[in-house]
Amino acid sequence: MRGRNEAPVIAFFPEASFGAALNCVGIAQELARMGAEPVFVCHPGFTGVFADYGFKEYHLPEPPGGSAQASADYWQAFINTHMPHFNLDAQAQLDTYVAPTWEAIVDTAIDAEAGLAALLDQIRPDAIVLDNVIMFPAIARAGCPWVRIVSCAETELPDAHVPPYLSGLAADDPARAGFEKAYARATRAAHRRYNDFRRAQGIAPLPQGIFLENGDLTLLLSPEAVRYERARPLPADRFAYLDGCVRTESRFDLPRLPVAEGPMVYLGFGSLGAIDTALITRMIAVFATLPARFVVNVGGFLDAYDHVPDNVYLGDWFPQPSVVEQSALFIHHGGNNSFCEALYHGVPSLVMPYCWDGHDNAQRAEATGTGMRIGRADWNGETLRTAILRLLDDEAMRTRLAAISGRMQANPGTRRAAEAILRLL
Amino acid sequence: MAEPRRNARQNHLALAKQVIGIALERGLQSGEHLPEQVYSEACGVSRTPMRAAFKILEENEILSWREEEGYFLETGPQDGLTEAAQLLEEMEDSLATRILSDRAARRISDVQSVSALVRRYGRSRNTVLNALKILARDGIVTQLPGRSWAFQPILDTPRSIEESLQFRLILEPQAITAPGFALESKKAGLLRAQMQAHLQTRQGRIGSASFMRIDTEFHGFIAECSGNRFARGALLAHHRLRRATQKDISIPDFRLRQSLEEHMDILDSLEKLQFDVAADLMTLHLRRSRIRRPDAANRGIVPLMRGPNA
Repeated sequence: MRGRNEAPVIAFFPEASFGAALNCVGIAQELARMGAEPVFVCHPGFTGVFADYGFKEYHLPEPPGGSAQASADYWQAFINTHMPHFNLDAQAQLDTYVAPTWEAIVDTAIDAEAGLAALLDQIRPDAIVLDNVIMFPAIARAGCPWVRIVSCAETELPDAHVPPYLSGLAADDPARAGFEKAYARATRAAHRRYNDFRRAQGIAPLPQGIFLENGDLTLLLSPEAVRYERARPLPADRFAYLDGCVRTESRFDLPRLPVAEGPMVYLGFGSLGAIDTALITRMIAVFATLPARFVVNVGGFLDAYDHVPDNVYLGDWFPQPSVVEQSALFIHHGGNNSFCEALYHGVPSLVMPYCWDGHDNAQRAEATGTGMRIGRADWNGETLRTAILRLLDDEAMRTRLAAISGRMQANPGTRRAAEAILRLL
Repeated sequence: MAEPRRNARQNHLALAKQVIGIALERGLQSGEHLPEQVYSEACGVSRTPMRAAFKILEENEILSWREEEGYFLETGPQDGLTEAAQLLEEMEDSLATRILSDRAARRISDVQSVSALVRRYGRSRNTVLNALKILARDGIVTQLPGRSWAFQPILDTPRSIEESLQFRLILEPQAITAPGFALESKKAGLLRAQMQAHLQTRQGRIGSASFMRIDTEFHGFIAECSGNRFARGALLAHHRLRRATQKDISIPDFRLRQSLEEHMDILDSLEKLQFDVAADLMTLHLRRSRIRRPDAANRGIVPLMRGPNA
């Protein structure tokens, strides 16, 4: 137990993806401003990422066979196997991508358990914040309150009026029942294995298709403008909506391009999307024909590009919230953080989903008039051009988004989250 | 005589851009006063070049002059101060910097013929050759047998940035401990004042371009003070290359500030003639400055790290 005057220690444990990691950074920044001491439990590979934002890090041990070469080989195999799957629709991805990904997620939970339990013993946090899609029994056993962050789309929490998770469907789509059945079938083996693991760790198994229970507090990013009216509303004493969760970043100054005129368009497909250099190369060829300036996040693959057009600027990393703020259009993969940043800054989204909840956000962007969906596999130069020009010219959408942005910025999600976490202590 | 005049003009333009950078960082609004003394110190120059820079800004309607009061910001951040900075950049532009910046942005490939450059930039053969000679002086391009020119490695990929850091880890601490290191205290004081001014800005207001400028100035200054002439030459050329080609680094605000504090700790040790401590602090600073970021991450998979030390 900490002394009366000591700052409460909040241990963040985001999954090994940038969306979750940076979402937690935003909340941790706000908690630090409020006098708490946020610390991060890091997956291998994220070492140093949180320290650069000023937070203390605790590191999970490398998983067995986790050398740099093994990880590079694993990624190469992942790319070879899954790149074609990203062109499939959400239902066809269930057996090809979703099922093996859930198996891998269960593996990460099992691998992390012992190391995580040891770190939590060392940190002795006053609260734990988990931003992931799966529960770690060590958190349930840590003896302090824990917070679940749903940083994916709201579809992660099932409800009769919310579309099925990862489906890309509307809530009332006739295909709903078929998708739900197929999802249950595709995830059954991983789910059974995960429940066996939970029992062995002394915590109760979860119902079919559910890999993560709700915390003492559950926070959802889902902004009001795209939120669903639930058949069973979430009780306000254990759930809070954040209306996005946008962190403070350093300022981005667009370097001078040979083409100095035109609205700025940002393309960021996340680190997973950046792997598809062939697709981005095709898109850049279309950008060259448009009267706009394009900032393109190509991740660690800059050397895959040559003869970059005069109206395009490539980078391996951008302080995304600052870039989005200055953009007239954001082309993204439907990652929930990206979608929320677009709404927060009142910028239209052109969503090209790859997988997971990208499908759900693409559907939601169209349904709420905050953006447009374009399929990865079924676009050509003309359809992409038309989509970009249409979104750049859509005054009604811009006005709608400005109102959404105003409401979100008036009460930032990072502050709401930090206040809710501190109230839990 | 035309060349020195042109160089002076370029310096004043660069200084004017620096003034805008400071105004943006400090969140200055239209109508606010820019005291000459404060800006001279912040930029590490005397008042004469600062007056020339203010004059350029006045000519471009970014500042206004009031009798006996001085210069005031006319164009605030809401009225297009960033765009005004870009206009100045265009005025400053020389063909050599355009070629280098196009190479760094991967617009042109690493081997170029003079005629291809003549076509791209619409300039005479002689002008292009002069620009290439300027770049060759810094070792950025070399002439191949025949009419082509080849770019040397620049800091445009995660791998080359990592290699640059490893090179600096070998040489920068050595540049301090080599016999004959002599700190130029006046310049050290000016650099310290610039870094302190950056630290006083609001969170999130330090731009990456402005940080890069002060970072390369600091490390270039350490190299200049070294007693080892070869270390000095190699490091100065390398920092020029960093400044010209490594522009789009995006570092969280916390790390930018921590980095500036580390620079000042190194200066503290040098001023106390504790060269070994300063060299150790330099090693620590460079190790902390390594950008540690997975190239790819996805749920269920160990993140992908590349680079020599991954």
